[in-house]
Amino acid sequence: MASVSVAGDTDHVNDQRMGRAAFLTVLGLGTVGLAFGERITRGLSAPIGAVGDVIPNAVKALVPTGWRIYAVNPPWPTFHPATYRLQVTGMVARPLTLEWTEVGGLPAVDETADFHCVTGWTVGGVHWRGIRLQTLWDMAHPLPEARYVNFISMEHPYVDTLSLKQTTMPQVMLAHTMDGAPLPREHGAPLRLVVPEMYGYKGVKWLHRIELVDRLEPGYWEQRGYDVDAWVGRSNGYF
Amino acid sequence: MTRFSAFERALHWLLALTFLTMAATGLILYLPSLAEVAANRGMWKSIHLGAAIAFWAGLIALLPGNGRQFRASAREIDRFDGDDRRWLQWAVTRRGDEPVQGRFNAGQKLNTAIVSGLMVVFTVSGTLMYLQETDAAFRGRTSAILVHDLATWVALPLVAGHLWLALVNPSTRHSMRGILLGSVRRDWARRHHGKWMDAVEGQPVSTGSAEPPSPSP
Repeated sequence: MASVSVAGDTDHVNDQRMGRAAFLTVLGLGTVGLAFGERITRGLSAPIGAVGDVIPNAVKALVPTGWRIYAVNPPWPTFHPATYRLQVTGMVARPLTLEWTEVGGLPAVDETADFHCVTGWTVGGVHWRGIRLQTLWDMAHPLPEARYVNFISMEHPYVDTLSLKQTTMPQVMLAHTMDGAPLPREHGAPLRLVVPEMYGYKGVKWLHRIELVDRLEPGYWEQRGYDVDAWVGRSNGYF
Repeated sequence: MTRFSAFERALHWLLALTFLTMAATGLILYLPSLAEVAANRGMWKSIHLGAAIAFWAGLIALLPGNGRQFRASAREIDRFDGDDRRWLQWAVTRRGDEPVQGRFNAGQKLNTAIVSGLMVVFTVSGTLMYLQETDAAFRGRTSAILVHDLATWVALPLVAGHLWLALVNPSTRHSMRGILLGSVRRDWARRHHGKWMDAVEGQPVSTGSAEPPSPSP
């Protein structure tokens, strides 16, 4: 024990407390980062975006894009255009089974919206193109007793739900195009629900079945303690 | 030659095990490519948070009985003498002989200080992340996620370099024995930590000279 306490550093007259300086520098940078980090990176994002196209995709995949992909039952489902079907079932006058070419033929609309995750991150200005739910309701004719809509993912057992009224809020859509390209696999190819006013866990990915029901059936995360109405800034513990 | 006390080794391995657990689970939570392979985000998050709590609980358990030793080690790591500063220059330029070093060389001192700071930064930003996930009132107030990410990209290369020196690099990997068992070979300590050996053996020490001490008979 005594031998351990002997440092062997003897030039004490000229000692500098560089250990403490390094420790405090890290704490200082961390504090500045906590206070101003987002503002600093926003200032840098424009020049990085300008050179973004020369960076290979393999490298980009390692660099955070702002998105974080959460799956509950990997691997992610695979989209096969020939066998994919979108079903609308439950309390409708006319159940639907649409092939992918039929889904692609439905009238599509564009919108740009921020994407908020309940864990705290946000991706601003995502460009979506897709189908309004009203288009499907006009074809399937929900029955008067239908009040809720379950969105069922190919990623079993992921499911989430909206009230029938919420499905026709202005920005709600089933997106098949994201930022000008077909919806990538990790974002829910071929079709995902987009609800900009709510947190991302409501936006069911790899969507393949829509079921209309008369009673609320809590979704995957709601069964695990999340709010059913996931309003951004007004839910999940915000008062 | 006893290089590390039982307390120092316990502290090192407490940090090593909890850090590697947090790094592995953190990368699963962070990288989409890993998230696809390893499901069950909730479980990885619990392990990640559990390891953080285990680190601080271990620290709180270890410190009270070893306060004097902790302060002595911290003081040793804090102080950089002339040889330490020359060593940092030498580590970059590789010109001339390696300045003689004490029980910790200047790189080890710097690494310890930076990693200690990072543990505080990780804890503060991680706590804020936990709070903003639990309560949206904390959202948007701080850049906690960004800071936690950046701290990771600083810490991982440091730890990777540390592992390379401890496990792979032939001239330094003997130090692994020191942190595992406490003791190192006398000739190895003479070569890498000459001033420490001088002090332990009561030999005259080189003061500020870049010359290695004359070999003892």
